[in-house]
Amino acid sequence: MSKVFLGMSGGVDSSVSAVLLKNQGYDVTGVYMKNWSEDLPGMKCPWADDLADAKSVAVQLDLDFEVWDFEAAYKQQVVDYMLAEFKKGRTPNPDVMCNERIKFKLFYDQAMARGADYIATGHYARVGTQNDATCKTLLRAVDENKDQTYFLYRMSDLATQHTLFPVGDMLKPEVKAFAAEHALDVATKKESMGVCFVGEVGMQDFLRTYIDLRPGEIRVAETGAVVGFHEGAVFYTLGQRHGLHLGGGLPYYVVGKDLDANIVYVSRDLNHPALWADTLDLEDLHLRDGRTPEDLTQIRDLKVRLRHRAPLVGVATSCPKKSIATSNQWSESRNEMVTLRFDQPIKRPAPGQSAVLYAGEICLGGGIIA
Amino acid sequence: MPELSKYIYLDHAAATPVSDAVVRAMLPYFTQDFFNPSAPYRPARQVRAAYEAAKDRLAHTIGAKGVDLIMTAGATESINLAFTARRSRALVSSIEHAAVLSAASAGDHLLVKVKPSGVICLDDLRNKLSDEVDFVSISLANNELGTIQPLAEISRILREVRQDRLARGVTTPLTFHTDASQALSLIDINVARLGVDLLTLNAAKCGGPKGIGALYVSHHVQLQPITLGGGQERGLRSGTENVPAAIGFAAAAEHAKSHSASHRKHCQTMSQILRQAIGGIKIPAPNRNPEPYTSIIAHNTEKVNTEIISPRFLGDLKHQLSSFIPVCFPGIDAERLVYRLANRGILVSTGAACAANKGSKSHVLAAIGLSDSEIAGSLRLSLGSTNTVEQIHQAAQILREEVEHEYARIRGAQHQKLPLSRNSSRPTGSERSDQAACNDRPARAGSGKTAVSDVASSNSGNIYV
Repeated sequence: MSKVFLGMSGGVDSSVSAVLLKNQGYDVTGVYMKNWSEDLPGMKCPWADDLADAKSVAVQLDLDFEVWDFEAAYKQQVVDYMLAEFKKGRTPNPDVMCNERIKFKLFYDQAMARGADYIATGHYARVGTQNDATCKTLLRAVDENKDQTYFLYRMSDLATQHTLFPVGDMLKPEVKAFAAEHALDVATKKESMGVCFVGEVGMQDFLRTYIDLRPGEIRVAETGAVVGFHEGAVFYTLGQRHGLHLGGGLPYYVVGKDLDANIVYVSRDLNHPALWADTLDLEDLHLRDGRTPEDLTQIRDLKVRLRHRAPLVGVATSCPKKSIATSNQWSESRNEMVTLRFDQPIKRPAPGQSAVLYAGEICLGGGIIA
Repeated sequence: MPELSKYIYLDHAAATPVSDAVVRAMLPYFTQDFFNPSAPYRPARQVRAAYEAAKDRLAHTIGAKGVDLIMTAGATESINLAFTARRSRALVSSIEHAAVLSAASAGDHLLVKVKPSGVICLDDLRNKLSDEVDFVSISLANNELGTIQPLAEISRILREVRQDRLARGVTTPLTFHTDASQALSLIDINVARLGVDLLTLNAAKCGGPKGIGALYVSHHVQLQPITLGGGQERGLRSGTENVPAAIGFAAAAEHAKSHSASHRKHCQTMSQILRQAIGGIKIPAPNRNPEPYTSIIAHNTEKVNTEIISPRFLGDLKHQLSSFIPVCFPGIDAERLVYRLANRGILVSTGAACAANKGSKSHVLAAIGLSDSEIAGSLRLSLGSTNTVEQIHQAAQILREEVEHEYARIRGAQHQKLPLSRNSSRPTGSERSDQAACNDRPARAGSGKTAVSDVASSNSGNIYV
């Protein structure tokens, strides 16, 4: 019987995964990964409840269950990365790093060391072979609306060979119905938030506890006129419209930041060039299945996803280029970059976010927006 | 009691239901007698009178007067208020409730050891009673073990120390506080007989509502308010009085006091049945060399031990509240039992409710010398007014089944499980060949540990179902 270590978060997706794996005859050990347990201002960390939910389901299914403590590693490899990126004025995605560094690295390694044949998680994604290939590759989920490959594109090829995504070929409503049918306590549980440990609303409060703030001016990009003040430029993201507190009238959009001068630039012009792009530079590339930036140029119908759940956008051409100096301590990736060109200008995503590339169902990997 | 009938509730140390009579006594003070007891008009003064009378009745259950009580929002607040009597150093036992330990940690303090029975080590107490010590806090009955401490003896020791200090011209006072939260419905509490200066009471553990507690304060003790405001409760606990809760507290405490003898007897009877049944469960002896405590849940992959033992009851029956049955099933994960039992309608806990679901191990069980795997295998059953003898027989049977199930599961894991049934769908062949083609992962570091799996597979099937 194949041995599987299943990451159980206490949510409905990983709980249903547990039932599926058990029914398929796997020897399943449920593992709660304890990554974060601190309460934050305005937010009670739900880890104890999540752990209780996960364990309760595991016990209900008579599975072995363990808690693996990754708090130190998570702080170092996810939170510190995130804070460093924010301090550089960028908008990082901690979920992507959590998957790369914790779930599909530490969890994977530890599971393999314990004799696992596979690890599994409740992500909406699939692993399979394409076009007679012998190795397995990361594929988009059947439920296009829930596809989570955007967060998974940095998981290693090695881990991909030994990973199961049991709900990847189900639709979310089917998963919920399945949970209810199997009388899982978590069937009606509310969906967890995007970022593992802190919701989008909580990010400002989170940053406030970790980053020294320097108040400064908010200026209109076109005129240089001071229209307000900010608590810290790190709080502002390109394209941001809400939370600027600049009074009534037409909304302002953040169109730039000057971290040295500590100025946030805003504009009322939705067509401001900073908000749009017809090319995007990607750095910290993580291309899957041994592909090189050159390989990408061969792919017809190359598509990119610029935000989780955002529609796929066609890429006109991709052009490899050597990076000048991307000494990102957080990435082991080669010093390669890629420039994506688009036929139509796209809304420019914030630097630090991920761009994930696809050819049909296959997730080709991606990079961080420079 | 509605709803409760679908459960067998064996966690009375965590919370007790409020009886209909107590609810009835409280209700008028939410609606028609809602007045602020500090207001000057007659209806409000009647509320004041009812409130003071309730305090008197409550105080009488512990041999005190109403004016000696400071009403608080619960035992934790009472304890924190009590600790304001500490000016230099506190002595507390190592098995105190988290509220006492945390309050003690806010200043100079020392922990006093307990014996394996959970009873405080009096020699250690004596040794630590240096002239800096001005505050001692020892619970009357422990919240995980039910261990009853020899408070009268402790207060005799403290009296001697006070005398000795006087003789030497040392003027440091020595205040004695006890947390009696768990004890009211089972022990006859009398502050004079116990010799305590401060005593914490909790309504929620004796059939009263949650959110109200009391601190008995003897006349000579100087406390500092931790809640400032309108000066209620002698200025020590400002805030409009929680009249309905105080009325409910008094009614519950009086009922508990007047029924304590019969309640004790009832608990003893049930405890005997349950202990006998649990003692009859045959379980494998723990491994000689248990694995180190690597994750929160100890896992067990050592060789199967064939020696058969009985579960181990914790604490010492001679010094224990009759409602408490703390028991250790070495080698298994008691938290799993909690979930399995809950699925069958039996509500129990692994220890203090505030700590139990946080994955932290019990400091109480560690203090009485349990190993990490013994702590992980410990369950706290606490009996109470909702239980009947019939329920206990039922619970004993189910508990036995679930304990045996868990041990069988562990044994199964040690033998390496084989498919549950031939029909169950299994990983497909194609997946397996993929794995062979991409066999690029590192060698299993843990392969030494999984030696049993080789044995199982060489037996080629159908040993374990």
